[in-house]
Amino acid sequence: MTAVLDVPPVVRRPEVPDTLEVIPSVPTTLVEMLACGAPDRGDDGAGVIAVGRLADAFPDDVRTRIVGQLDIDDLLSVPAGAGAVVVDTVVGVDPGWIVEIPFSGLAGRDAGIRPRSSHALSIPETVAVASIIRGRPLPGIVVAIGGVDFGLGEALSWPVAAGMDAFALAIADAVRRVRRLVQDAARRD
Amino acid sequence: MHDTVIAPGGADLDVDVRNLTRVEGEGSLHLRVSDGAVESAHLEIFEAPRYFERLVVGRSMDEVIDIVARICGICPVAYQMTAVHAAEAAFGVTVDPATVALRRLLYCGEWIESHALHIYLLHLPDLLGYPSAIDLAQHARATVEGGLRLKRAGNAIVARIGGRAIHPVSVRVGGFSRVIRRDEIASLRADLAEALDLVEATIELVASLQPPVFRREARLVALRAPDEYPMNHGRIVSNDGLDIAAVDWESMFEERQVPWSNALQAFGRDGRPYLLGPSSRVTLDADLLHPRAAAALVRHDLADRIANEPNWSIAARAIELVHAVAEAIDIVEGYEPPTVGGVPWTPREGIASWATEAPRGLLFQRFGLDADGRVVDARIVPPTSQNQAAIEADLALFAPTVLDRPHAEITHLLEQLIRSYDPCISCATHFLDLQVEETS
Repeated sequence: MTAVLDVPPVVRRPEVPDTLEVIPSVPTTLVEMLACGAPDRGDDGAGVIAVGRLADAFPDDVRTRIVGQLDIDDLLSVPAGAGAVVVDTVVGVDPGWIVEIPFSGLAGRDAGIRPRSSHALSIPETVAVASIIRGRPLPGIVVAIGGVDFGLGEALSWPVAAGMDAFALAIADAVRRVRRLVQDAARRD
Repeated sequence: MHDTVIAPGGADLDVDVRNLTRVEGEGSLHLRVSDGAVESAHLEIFEAPRYFERLVVGRSMDEVIDIVARICGICPVAYQMTAVHAAEAAFGVTVDPATVALRRLLYCGEWIESHALHIYLLHLPDLLGYPSAIDLAQHARATVEGGLRLKRAGNAIVARIGGRAIHPVSVRVGGFSRVIRRDEIASLRADLAEALDLVEATIELVASLQPPVFRREARLVALRAPDEYPMNHGRIVSNDGLDIAAVDWESMFEERQVPWSNALQAFGRDGRPYLLGPSSRVTLDADLLHPRAAAALVRHDLADRIANEPNWSIAARAIELVHAVAEAIDIVEGYEPPTVGGVPWTPREGIASWATEAPRGLLFQRFGLDADGRVVDARIVPPTSQNQAAIEADLALFAPTVLDRPHAEITHLLEQLIRSYDPCISCATHFLDLQVEETS
C-alpha cells in the first residue's frame, strides 16, 4: 500500500534559514584547565609551561585556557556541569613545592578576609564570588607551585624547574579527579 | 578532597597556605606611634624592582609600546598610550583623526574596566560594611553582577581594538597594526547601552554611601586639555596654580628613594606630596566632563567631598565611569574608519616624552632616542609611586583619630583608607600587614 501525502510539496531555495533549531546536547567540555601567570616572568609562567606540556594528554572534553590573572569571568564561562582546574604559581609554600586545594576548601581558608588586592581578588575570593553568581559551587581544584623569582625575562628558578615534572603530574591527576567527579555528578543527575 | 603538599621528592605533608594570592605586589603599612601621636606612617613596598627602564634600552619605540604594556595587567593601555604619543611627538607624526578617536575609545575601555573592578569588588565591600567581596556577593548578588557586566563592557572595548583584553597588541607608532572596521566598533553598542544604565545606577548607589569622614586639604594634580576631559594629552595643572607642559614634569617633580620601600616616591621639587587620580581629575577638569557625568556630579553635590575626602574617591570613579561609557558611546556612534591602519614615520634622535591619565592618575614617560630611534635611556613614573607620599601623609593625619579603637578595627580602617587610593604596586599592594610600634 502506498501512503499518500495530502499536503502539496514545498520547493525551497537552498538557503540557510535565519534561525536553526538548536538541538540540546550534553556538555562537550567536562573540565576547563585555567592556566594563570605570564610565561615571560620567571616562576610566574610555571603554570602556563606545565599546561603546555600536557597539551596532548587529555581527551577532547578537557579544554585549556591561558587566562593570565584569574578573573571571575573566567570561572563564570566554565560550562554548566563542567569543572575547573586552576593552575598557578603562588607564594606561601617553599619554591618548587606543589599544593593542591579543592575549591571547596578555599572559602574557609580565607574566611573573614577583606579584599586585599588592589589589582584583583585573591583566588579564594574569585572562586567564591563566581560560585555565588553561578548559583551553585563550581567543582574544581587549584594546583599551584611555590615560586621565588618573578622578574620579567627571568627563567624558572632552579627549585621550580626541578619541580616541573611533579607539577605536571599533579595537574594531570587533578584534571582526572575533577573529570571523574563531574562525570559521576552527571550520572547522578 | 583534601589539601595536599607534594615535596619535589614526592613526600606528602599537610600545611596551611595562607597567602594564596597573585604575586605581583606585596606591601605593608608600618605605623610608629609615640605617646599617642603618629611619628611616621610608612607604606612599605618590598616587591623587587622590575627594571623596565633598563629593559627598553636598545629597543625601537614600536617594541617599547609592547614592552611597557607588560608593566601592569590592569592598565596596559595607559603605558602604551603614553609611549606611543611620546614617540609620535618626537618623530613629528600626525595621525588620522579616526586613530585619535580609537585611542580615546581604547582608554575609555581601560577606565571602565579598572574603575568597575575597584568600585564593585575592592572598595564597595568596605563602604557597605561587608568584610569581603564574597559577603557582598552573597548579600547583594545583583549589584556584583552589574559591576561585572560593566567590567565586561570595558574589557570588550580593549579586546576589540587592542586584539585582547589584557596586554593589547595593536597599538603602533603612527596608528594601529590594522584598520579597525566600522562593524567591529558598532558591535560594542549593545554592551555600552546596557553599561550606560549600569553606571547611572552606580552613581545612585555610590551617592547613597556614608564612608568614614576624613577631611584634609591635598595638593591635587592632573592633566588638563583645552578641548576634552584628560586622557591622552594635556598640560599638568594643580589646585594651587601649577600649569606646565606635560613634557616638563621633571622640572617640577622629582623621585626619591626612601629606605622602607622598593618603589621610588615622587614629590614636588618643593618637597610637598601631591595626589593624582580620579579625585584630582574630577576636581580640576569638572567643566570638561561629559554632560551626563557633569549632571550627576551636580545632582548629588559630590564635588566638595571628592576634592577633600579620600574615602569619597569611589564617587570620583563613578563619575568617571559615567563619563567613559557616555563618551565611548559617542565615539562608537561617530566612528569612521581610517583608510590605512597607520601613517608612515621616520625615526630620529631626540627626546620622546609624554604624560597621559591612567585610571590611577598621571603617568609620565621619557625616552632618550638615538639616530635610529632606539632608546638609550628611559624614565617611567607610574601614578602609584607619585601617590605614595600623599597616601602616607593622609595616613599620618587619619591614624590619630582611630588609635583608641581595637587593633583589628584600626587595621581595617587604615586598609580601607589605603584602598580608597586604588594603589597599584608594580602596580599593586596585594596584602597589607599592619604593624603598630609604640615607643612609650
